[in-house]
Order: sequence, then structure tokens, then C-alpha cells
Amino acid sequence: MSEVAPGQVVLEVRGIVKRFPGVVANDHVDLQVRAGEVLALLGENGAGKTTLMNIIYGLYTPDEGEIYVMGRRVHIRGPKDAISLGIGMVHQHFMQVEELTVLENIILGLREFGIILDTEKAKRMLEEAFQRYGLRVDPDAYIWQLSAGEKQRVEIMKALFRGAKILILDEPTSVLTPQETKELFKTLRKFVEGGMAVIFITHKLQEVMEVADRIVVMRRGKVVGRLMREEATIPQLARLMVGREVLFRIEKGEARPGEVVLRVEGLRAMSDKGVEAVKGITFSVRKGEIVGVAGVAGNGQKELVEVLYGLRRPTAGRVTLFGKDVTGEPTHRIIKFGISLIPEERVTMGIVPTFSVADNLILEIVDREPFSQKVFDGLRKLSFENIEKYAEELIRKFDIRTPSSKTKAGYLSGGNIQKLILARELSRGAYLIIADQPTAGLDVGATEFIRNLLVKARDSGNAVFLVSGDLSEVLSLSDRVMVMYEGEITAVFRPGELPIEEIGLYMLGAKKMPKEEVERFWE
Amino acid sequence: MRIRLERRGEVPLYVYILAPTGAFLLAFLMGAFLMLWAGASPIKGYGAFLRGAFGGLKPFTNTLLRATPFLLMATGISLSNRSNVLNIGAEGQYIMGAIAMTWIAVLMQNSVPGFIVILVGVILAVIVGALWAGAAGYLKAKMGINEVVVTVMLNWVAIMLLKWLLRGPLKDPRSQQWPMSPPIGPHLPYIYGNLNLGFVIAVLLAIAIWYVLFRTNIGFKLRACGENPRAARYAGFNVEGMLILSMLISGAMAGMAGAFDVIGTFHILYEGIVVGLGYTSIIVALVGKNHPLAVIGSAIMFGAIYNGVTSMQSVTQLSYTLSKCIEGMIYLFFLISEFLVLYRIRLIRGDAS
Ligand SMILES: Nc1ncnc2c1ncn2[C@@H]1O[C@H](COP(=O)(O)OP(=O)(O)OP(=O)(O)O)[C@@H](O)[C@H]1O
Ligand SMILES: [Mg+2]
Repeated sequence: MSEVAPGQVVLEVRGIVKRFPGVVANDHVDLQVRAGEVLALLGENGAGKTTLMNIIYGLYTPDEGEIYVMGRRVHIRGPKDAISLGIGMVHQHFMQVEELTVLENIILGLREFGIILDTEKAKRMLEEAFQRYGLRVDPDAYIWQLSAGEKQRVEIMKALFRGAKILILDEPTSVLTPQETKELFKTLRKFVEGGMAVIFITHKLQEVMEVADRIVVMRRGKVVGRLMREEATIPQLARLMVGREVLFRIEKGEARPGEVVLRVEGLRAMSDKGVEAVKGITFSVRKGEIVGVAGVAGNGQKELVEVLYGLRRPTAGRVTLFGKDVTGEPTHRIIKFGISLIPEERVTMGIVPTFSVADNLILEIVDREPFSQKVFDGLRKLSFENIEKYAEELIRKFDIRTPSSKTKAGYLSGGNIQKLILARELSRGAYLIIADQPTAGLDVGATEFIRNLLVKARDSGNAVFLVSGDLSEVLSLSDRVMVMYEGEITAVFRPGELPIEEIGLYMLGAKKMPKEEVERFWE
Repeated sequence: MRIRLERRGEVPLYVYILAPTGAFLLAFLMGAFLMLWAGASPIKGYGAFLRGAFGGLKPFTNTLLRATPFLLMATGISLSNRSNVLNIGAEGQYIMGAIAMTWIAVLMQNSVPGFIVILVGVILAVIVGALWAGAAGYLKAKMGINEVVVTVMLNWVAIMLLKWLLRGPLKDPRSQQWPMSPPIGPHLPYIYGNLNLGFVIAVLLAIAIWYVLFRTNIGFKLRACGENPRAARYAGFNVEGMLILSMLISGAMAGMAGAFDVIGTFHILYEGIVVGLGYTSIIVALVGKNHPLAVIGSAIMFGAIYNGVTSMQSVTQLSYTLSKCIEGMIYLFFLISEFLVLYRIRLIRGDAS
């Protein structure tokens, strides 16, 4: 690709139509992308954003419509075509080879592009590129050692190394810490100042206002709004996205906490990397309250949640449910005890992508009436009729956008997969709900709905344990909050008791409450 | 000009039908050249092929007889494939089943009624086959040892064990040179000609396994474990247990196939039973899309190919190796057609634009 002037249209799609069985994912979409701009693509869950980007990246062939790159009509038949046209993409749920190093991942497959590199030269080039864009990842680190943010940087570098001039980022910030998000935005600005074009998909409207130059909003497969950032306001964007007024308000009254449901004492656990990730923490959750965990991702929250759900063995400490010791119980017992988990990793952990939406909605409760009937001990006959009826009900209640309950869950849009998991976990009659990043990837409407639902669960006497990277979510939903830093609880408080700045200090480990004070808080 | 492979999104129905048909035709065309080269008439050869496979009730029942071990083993392999363990060891499990059956027969056939010999022999064959595969499943589940390596190695152990037994403990004292067992008297009840009850049992088992796999909670969990072990673990399913269970059943089916062949087809144990039926069954399962009901069809088809080739060989006087070569070619083209169902080949001229 030769030099381009800022503002020149580098990519244009006209009249793109893409149909999937039972749904029109893109309905005559027109879009222009210019050099030197960050274009934010907004839209409710299932609006067709990812589909459109996959078409541009050559993963899907459009049923109708044309694509122009640098004013020239192109036929993109696969990612290789896209890459040779200077288009790069970082997927919503990307996959990397965990056993390879950063360097190997980035140069993996470069040979296909006629570039053969020796390791030393590749490393030098990589270091140079890191310097230029202010990105940093250790080239010799293994992928499994990286945080989500670092993995993403590797994906971005991969695209740049293949010569991307138009970079597509599908919900890049849903896995990032606020700090990482800031860094990403800085990098994106550098990219566009250098003449690149960036298409950026997100559900977080503040981010749009922060980084976008131009905004395009989609709803139900169609473009419903195009605006410059300066002329946009958050409420207006929200309304465009979901087609109704969004209040950004949670209806939440006083909590009426009851008896202790979950009690955790001196809990310790190791991470996959073999270092201690949870370092002797103590807390409890009562009936009718929401206890929130604030903290930067990667400070032991994931391991804590896994221990509570029987997915990871603790190395020390005790977990009790209604006073009953359940330390180290396996997951199927934990489920029977009445605990729900909304896992952070939705596609890899939350669903079986090749199973239907209906089957995924009864995943853990397949052994229960009326979804199956006993034939003899251990063997139960599935009742498709009842499974379907139940699924239809949840699909309606949670507004899961799917052509039918028989559609494979892997075909749903990212946000709708999350809604499926939420519907399942909030409906199976658990009295303790562990919610890890429950609103990640949800559009503003669904986010509001889910938050209200968690509060409703609390009000009807359930205990809720909320983990979220979104501090404002934790503060607005929780009745009690604990801050986790490096596997320890560094602060406990009720929302409103501490100023945001001080919470930030606890989250970054710059400040710490005395242990006695922390433990007394849960008495 | 470049050639490129692309994964198909949705596979259109015509591809599903065209690909295997095309594979058949291509393999036959290549086979025809081979026959011409060897100085045989392809028309005569293929005529014999068809007659041997389907030409009348008797050849057809022979085809069904041939299909029986394929059906048993491929059904088992489908099941283990569904839980994402590859059982490459049906061959060895089949041999072990045959050994177990023969052993019981040699031990008991002169003292107890035939049906008891059969009952005990088949049960032992099923257990031995299950353990032979279950061992690989256990090692995979508990220690992460690759099941392909283990099952293939166990195949060799079974083959060597067979060779040794036929020259030692199981050798027929009356046979001076040939390593073979004494003749085995008890046999499965016949339905028509050589076709015995084994085929019916195999079909019933395929239906039963289909039912368990797609209509019950155990199949639901087993498939979930195979499709996404992480999600299955999170849902509280016993992923390791399912893996071992599916290998046990897979091995049991192969063990039964070995026993059925001894008391239904060969009536003797000799080295000639090692012809790679277990390996072919992997392709049978693949063509049947790991779906037990479809496997019934593909097993019958492979039984027909097997018998067709045998009859082609005897009519055209082709050498055994050459006819096996044609058979292998048919399998190979099938595999390629399977691949083409999933991928499409594109020819690309010049650059992308
Ligand atoms: N491969 C597929 N097969 C069938 N349907 C699909 C496929 N991919 C997407 N869809 C459907 O197309 C619609 C648009 O999905 P898409 O992933 O583009 O949404 P999205 O705007 O990215 O949503 P989200 O914000 O939730 O990620 C959805 O209804 C989805 O179910
Ligand atoms: Mg998406």
C-alpha cells in the first residue's frame, strides 16, 4: 500500500448483506473508514458488528454487496487476502498457542507471506516495532505466562507484522484492566497519527467518547446512526443502540442481610503458574447481600472463584456453606449445594459451542426433573420437550437473540452467549451466585437488565458474590466491598465510605488496612 | 497460479453425496488401470466385485457377515471419538477378544455345553477388550499420556501374544507345522447361510449406543466432555471418568468383534485373523460421522467392499497384494472425500484483487 493522505477513504463497504439461517446479520450495510481515524462501531448484542468485520477480514463471504480498498473493488476470499490488502484483525475471542513464545507466535505463519526470518533478526525487528509503538511484551515469554492485556498486544503485533494498515479490534477492552485500556488507547492514537485506520468495537460508551473520531451505530443488522464524536452524547448513543431510553440506574434499596451463607477462612491457593495466588483470605457473604470484589484483574480473583466452585484445590483454609464444611468438594457437589457460577471465560468455559442453545441452558441440571426421567440408577432419559419449553422461556425472559432454541450456541454473538450463561446460572435456583465479570461484553441495555436482576436476586434472599474489573459496577451493586491485591484483601468497606482515589490506592497495593480490621469487618 | 484450501462454512447437502460417490468412481477408475496393467479385465473384475458384494441373497448375507466386526468396532470407536479419545487400538482389542474366546473354547468345549462356552468366552472377550482399551484411557485420563501411542503399542503386544500363544499354549497338538488352535466347535446360531446372530447383536448394540449417546443424560455428558472438556468440568461432569468409560466400551465392542469372528466366521484361531480390520473400522466410523446409526450403513458398505475385492481377486486371478492395493485405494479416496467435505480447493490466479 502506498502513502495515503489523512482523511482519504481507505476502506469502504457498500450494501453488504449477510444472512444466517433464521437471521439477517447484516442488512445492506454501508461503511467508510478513513486513514488517520479511529472509527468506533457500536451496537447492541447481535447487531451484526462481528459479522461485518469477519466479512471484511474474509472469514465470511457476503451474500450481497461490495468491498473497496483504496478505491479499488476487491474480493476478499480469506484472511490471507485481507492481510495482503493491509487489513488486520484482533478477534473478540482470539486463540493463541499457549506453549509457544511471544516471538514464535508473532512470526508463526509469516513464511506464508514469503518472509523468512531467522530468530535473531525477527527478535530485533520485534523490539524495534515495540519501541516505535510503545508496546511491550517479553519476546521470549510463553503465552501462558501472559496477562490478557499482554496476549492482546501480541495479537496486535501479529497484525502489524503482517503489514496491517487497517486494524480491526473486536471488543478489545472487555478483557483489559483500566490501566491496560489507557495504554491501548495511547497506542491506537499513535497508529492513526502514523496514517493507519482503526475500527474499534466496544460496548463501553465512555471509551467511545475517549478514543473515537467517528461513530457508527448498528441495530438489528442495519446502520442506524453515523456521528462525529464531538456531536455525540452518551445517552444519545445508548438510545441509538438499543432503541429505547437507557437509565444507567439501578433500582436498589437497603440490603436486609440475613444469616451467613458463605464463610471463607484463611484460604490459600496456587495459580496455574505454580505461585501462590490466594494468600490466606477471610470473608463471608450473607443472605440478602451483595459482596463485591474490586481489584485489578490477575490479583487472585480468578483462583479464588475457582476454589469456591470446586475447580481448584485450596492449599490451606476452610470454606463453609451454612456452617457446613465444603472445603475441597468437587464441582458437582458444589452445584448440588446450590451455588451458581457465571465464569469469566464465557466461550471456553461457559458453553459447549456445538450444543444447541437449549442444551446449554440445562447444562448443569440435565439430571433434574423435568429435563430427564430416571430409567434406572444413573441413567436418565432426556425429555426434549421439557428442555425446549424451559429454553424458550429463558430465551424470552433474558432476550437472548437466537434464531431458535435449536441453534448451536457457538453461533450466537458474544453478548448473547453471555446472556445465555446468565440466564442459566440465575435461573437454576441457587442461593449463592458467584458472578465473575457478569456484564462483560453486554450492551448497555442488557447490562442494566442484568445488574437489576442481581439486585433482585439479593432482595429475594440470595447471596451474591460479585467479581468485576469495572469499579463503578462493584460500587453501585455491592453492599460490602473487599479489595484484592496480590492475593490478599487490602481493604474492606461499604460503598460511599471511601473516596475513589483511596480505593485506587488499595487496588494498586499502595495502601493496606491492618489484617485485624479486615477480619473484624466480616464478623 | 496458486492452490489453496479453505474450510467450508456450511456444508451443502450435494457435497455430502457427491464427495463419497466421486471417491468411489475415482478409486474404481484407478483400480481399472491397475488391473489392465496386471493383464486382467476390469469389466470382468468389477462384475465379480458387484456379484461378490451384492449379487444375490448369499453374497449379500456374506457381506453382512463381513460387516459385523466393522459395525461392532466402528460403533465403539465412534463412541470414544465422541468423548475425544482416539482409539487406534481396536485391532489389538479385537485380537485379544479372539484369544480370550479361543482360550475358553479350548479349555471348556469338551466338557460343557456349547452355549455356555460361548457365553463365558464372549464375556471374557468383552472384559479383556475393555481392559486393553481402558488401560490406554486410564493412562490418558490420569497422566495425560497420549492414547494413540499407547493403543498402537498395545496392538503390537496383542499381535506378538497371538503369535506366541499359537506356537505354545493354544497350539493344536495335531497340527504339526501351522501355528493354529484346535478347531472350535461351538458357534453362534445361523440366520441364513453363514450369517449368524452376531450381526443382529451388532445392529442392536449400535442402536442402543445411539440411544444412550443422544437420548440420555450419560450421552449428553459424554458428548459435552468430548466437545469442550473445560465447560464440562465447570458443569460438574466427570471428564476423566467419561473418557475412561468410553474407552472401556470401545474396547469391549472390539473384544466382542474378535470373539464373534472366532465363533461365527473362522471357527479356529490363526494368524490370518490379523488383517487390519481394526484399522479399517476407524475409517468406517469416520465415514459414518461417528454416528452409530450411520455407522450401520457404512459398515455394510465396507463389508461389501471387502467381499467384492475378494471375489474380484478370485475371478481375475489378480494377486492378493494387488487386490488389497485396490481396496486400500478405495479407503484412501474415501478419506480424501471426507476431507473435501470439510474443505474446498481454490485455484487462484494472480493476486487477490
Ligand atoms: N456463523 C454463524 N452462524 C449462524 N448465525 C450467526 C453466525 N455468526 C453470527 N450469527 C448471528 O448473526 C447475528 C449477528 O451476530 P454478531 O456476532 O455479528 O453480533 P455482534 O454485533 O458482534 O454482537 P455482540 O456485541 O454480542 O458481540 C447474531 O444473531 C448471531 O446469532
Ligand atoms: Mg461481536
